[in-house]
Amino acid sequence: MTTLQTAQTAPPQAAAARTDAPRRHRSHRKAITAWLFLTPALLVLAAFTLYPMVQAAYLSLTNYNLIRAAEWVGLDNYVELFGDPAFWNAFWNTVYYAAVVTPVTIGLALVLAVFLDRQFAGRAFVRTAIFLPFIVSLGIIAIAWAFLLDPNIGLLSYWLSQVGIVSGQGVLSDPQWAMPAVMFVGVWKNVGFYMVIYLAGLQSIPEDLHEAARLDGANAWQRFRNVTLPLLSNQTLLVSVMALIASLQAFDQIYVMTHGGPFFRTETLVMLIYREGFQELRFGYGAAISWVLLIFVFLLSMIQYGYSQRRQVRY
Amino acid sequence: MHTHHSSDRRRTQRLRSVLIAGGAMAAAASLLLTGCTGAGASGGSTNDPDAKVTLEFWNGFTGPDGPALEQVVDDFNASQDRITVKANIMPWDTLYQKVLTAAAGKNGPDIVAMSASRLPQYAAEGLFQPIDDYYENPDFESDALADAAVSASMFDGENYGVPVNLATMLMYYNMDLFTAAGLDPEAPPTTWDEFAAMVPKLTVDENGDGKPEQYAIALADHETVPMYPPLLWNAGGGIVSEDGTTSELDSEGSLEALNFWVDLVKNKQASPIGLAGADADKLFQTGKAAIEIVGPWMTTGFNDAGLNFGLAPAFAGPSDQITLADVVSMAVPTSADETTKQAAYEFFAYWNSKEGQTTWAEGSGFPPTRADVSSDITGNPYPAVFGAPDVVDNSRVLLPGIAAGGTIMETIFNPALQKALNGKGTVDDIFTEASKQVQAELDK
Amino acid sequence: MTTTVESTAVDRPAASARRRTGPSYLNTHAAWKWLTAIAGIVIALAMLLPIIWMAFTAFKPESDIVAFPPTLWPRELTFEHFVDVWSRIPFARLYLNTIIFAGSVTLISLLFDSMAAYALARLEFSGRGVVLVLILVLLMLPFQVTLIPLYDMLNSIGLTNTLPGMIIPRMTNAFGIFFLRQFFLSLPKDLEEAARMDGASEWRIYWGVIMPLAKPALLTLGLFHFQYNWNDLLWPLIMSADVESATLPAGLALFMGQHVVEYGLLMAGSLLALLPVIAFFLLIQRSFVAGIATTGLK
Repeated sequence: MTTLQTAQTAPPQAAAARTDAPRRHRSHRKAITAWLFLTPALLVLAAFTLYPMVQAAYLSLTNYNLIRAAEWVGLDNYVELFGDPAFWNAFWNTVYYAAVVTPVTIGLALVLAVFLDRQFAGRAFVRTAIFLPFIVSLGIIAIAWAFLLDPNIGLLSYWLSQVGIVSGQGVLSDPQWAMPAVMFVGVWKNVGFYMVIYLAGLQSIPEDLHEAARLDGANAWQRFRNVTLPLLSNQTLLVSVMALIASLQAFDQIYVMTHGGPFFRTETLVMLIYREGFQELRFGYGAAISWVLLIFVFLLSMIQYGYSQRRQVRY
Repeated sequence: MHTHHSSDRRRTQRLRSVLIAGGAMAAAASLLLTGCTGAGASGGSTNDPDAKVTLEFWNGFTGPDGPALEQVVDDFNASQDRITVKANIMPWDTLYQKVLTAAAGKNGPDIVAMSASRLPQYAAEGLFQPIDDYYENPDFESDALADAAVSASMFDGENYGVPVNLATMLMYYNMDLFTAAGLDPEAPPTTWDEFAAMVPKLTVDENGDGKPEQYAIALADHETVPMYPPLLWNAGGGIVSEDGTTSELDSEGSLEALNFWVDLVKNKQASPIGLAGADADKLFQTGKAAIEIVGPWMTTGFNDAGLNFGLAPAFAGPSDQITLADVVSMAVPTSADETTKQAAYEFFAYWNSKEGQTTWAEGSGFPPTRADVSSDITGNPYPAVFGAPDVVDNSRVLLPGIAAGGTIMETIFNPALQKALNGKGTVDDIFTEASKQVQAELDK
Repeated sequence: MTTTVESTAVDRPAASARRRTGPSYLNTHAAWKWLTAIAGIVIALAMLLPIIWMAFTAFKPESDIVAFPPTLWPRELTFEHFVDVWSRIPFARLYLNTIIFAGSVTLISLLFDSMAAYALARLEFSGRGVVLVLILVLLMLPFQVTLIPLYDMLNSIGLTNTLPGMIIPRMTNAFGIFFLRQFFLSLPKDLEEAARMDGASEWRIYWGVIMPLAKPALLTLGLFHFQYNWNDLLWPLIMSADVESATLPAGLALFMGQHVVEYGLLMAGSLLALLPVIAFFLLIQRSFVAGIATTGLK
């Protein structure tokens, strides 16, 4: 909890800096209005997310197995966890997954958005096509991917073999390639959504800014680097927080395509939480892993948030 | 669910209340929660034979087995008017989770079907009650049931389940591929050595790119009905000893079997590496594998695909010829009162009656749980083949009565096997290490 | 040179960078346009491959789905899966359940999310930072963590196995609040300030000024919520007593048998289930662009 509290102090400072002194006398009424606006959301969050989360924290200090009443075990779960090779394996797999998928998805989304911001025949179709994976159930579409990628009877490997490329034992069962394969599906799934967010951002950039930069003799890359990119910082913050959290919580396609295998090479922390909690009935231990994951994600996002907050531009 | 734990339960509730009060914004939640404890009274301990009972029956017979199961349930409901069984079919994965959430929430089903290999884990945690008295009632004709099916649900000296089905594994072999390889389509391999001799003919790499277009066998190593463990049995080895106390993974027989098969698959390309059960089925179904050892559920798909296949007992190892029996059992949660339990017994008895088993076997293609109805099953030839006495008598359930069975298979055996097949060490090293882990699980 | 001026008016800035390529510009320009279009179509088809496969598979007889050599186009067309899917599961009922579930979650959540986001983006009050951090923390929470305690709690207040029990915990969403806050921050302040000068209440400003301006963001978030709940399997399954009261993914999961997956039925059902979400998207895509154009962001 100490880590949470220290981190909490960062944004309020920013908020305080923006406070306008002459308006202070109205602040009391404003505060009441603000809390009224927040009430419905906070009530729902408190009851159905915060309370279960606190409850999970309590359970992480017990040997709860979902069936028998929980017995207090103190920090045993956490002590065990840090000496558990399965935890460290899942931890580094998660880091690996997030370190690749987050930047690749964001970069690709930006490139696609810039590309699709231009006029060309069939643009609406291409946009729709790139967005479509996002709205398809990952559980179902992962079955399609597994079918396509099957090294012996899959369509993709068959097409590749027709042009002379041998697919070997298949990416999903290959210890080296299983992770890149599930990463690929993760990127494929989400890139469209982030692209749309960037597109919205691009379309809201006033044309005259570009025009001005062009008159100053800036080339396309300079205009992108110095005009477009800074003005997209809001979108970048949003997209990067989303992408980071999504990749640190990767589960669905891994569950369907590899189930964490071969020999745990694709087991992420959420997969491990699921396995410990629901398969081995060690819910207390699973809850402890969840909390470690939560604190880890939180710290990362705070760093990321703080970093991008400094670069944010308002207009 | 556990009346004897009620004081613990109350303490947990109180702890929770403290937590709620502590949470800054959870005041509203605690308001909602007060006065809502103690719901769901557990009934009396005596049986009321006249009470109308509705039994919630959770099971995972999704896919084509679902309609057959519902047929038997409907027949039972029509056969009397006191008890109504409501079948709730969901995927097995979901069922295992839902049973747990329902257990955590103290409300749930009256009958749960689950794989006999998963049952001990839940029984060990006190989720189910022993039902040995079911087998003592002569009216239920339990003597007619196959031993393997009944003993599969034993845990700690008590029986926690009644069989839903018993599926044995047989060797499917593609006769056309045998003929094409110049082998006698009526003479499938009967021993490991015969099979090994056929591998060079049945594994075909026509274009010489190093990746065969056809494999001798499809052996799945994860997400599957266990295909490798019976090979260990047939060399005199196994995963754990019969009494369930000692790991046998590093025994001479086990290591002999594993060395033999890892060599065949890895070096002689007898089977692709890294197949899941569904991949192995697809491989055989597309005519890209000559042999698969699997249960009766594939007959429909293979026939629809127009495969010309034969069925035979799987080849014998150096010391045995045992096949795997996959058993699903029905269990009664601890929370069920006596009336519910007795009503469940009525349903169990109907399910395993001649009538029930005939309908089930005809509809699903699974062999009946009792041998004496084989001759009544005329609509479907396969239940009799898979339920033949010499097949059933030579079948064995994997890791019966071992609470850590699922953990051992999924987190120790399968990963170790995949490591060996991918050449990440020698079989002896990998499985000696895995054996220690199995022992540690057993000692827990 | 007049042509170049004209084309700048139509083209987005990136295209005009190539104007300096000399006298053959017109040809290069046309070629480039073609190349862009072709590249776009190739990318689109690659992205769509699994979905195209899914669509064609739904029309294949079961024995043609698992066959070698594999084909994309069905060797033989059949509509049986689309017929069977209605009788094998209570498809119409599940459709209705899913519309009610995903629809009401989306609408209520958009309202609550935007109200909270408005307060966080536009109103200054002490404690704002704390609330913001709290929202961020909740946003990071893996769902698997809270599932059991949440179920336990809903059960103790008698909400399990009910539709409200399925909907109420999802009435707001930390992600939605964060998402809208980011968008609200980027909206211009002048309209709002003008309204405030005229003495409009905060509610009027929120509902009458900010919400119309935020239409594209609301639609995007609405789609996000809708597809998420539409496709969610675990939550509706755990919260419903039986298949009849569950949602479409729960029904479709019944085609994934323990040993045998009925691919044809699964894909046909998934395809039918996908249609409303695609319709939603196509609907949005128009208003999305239109919405942007009318936000007055110039």
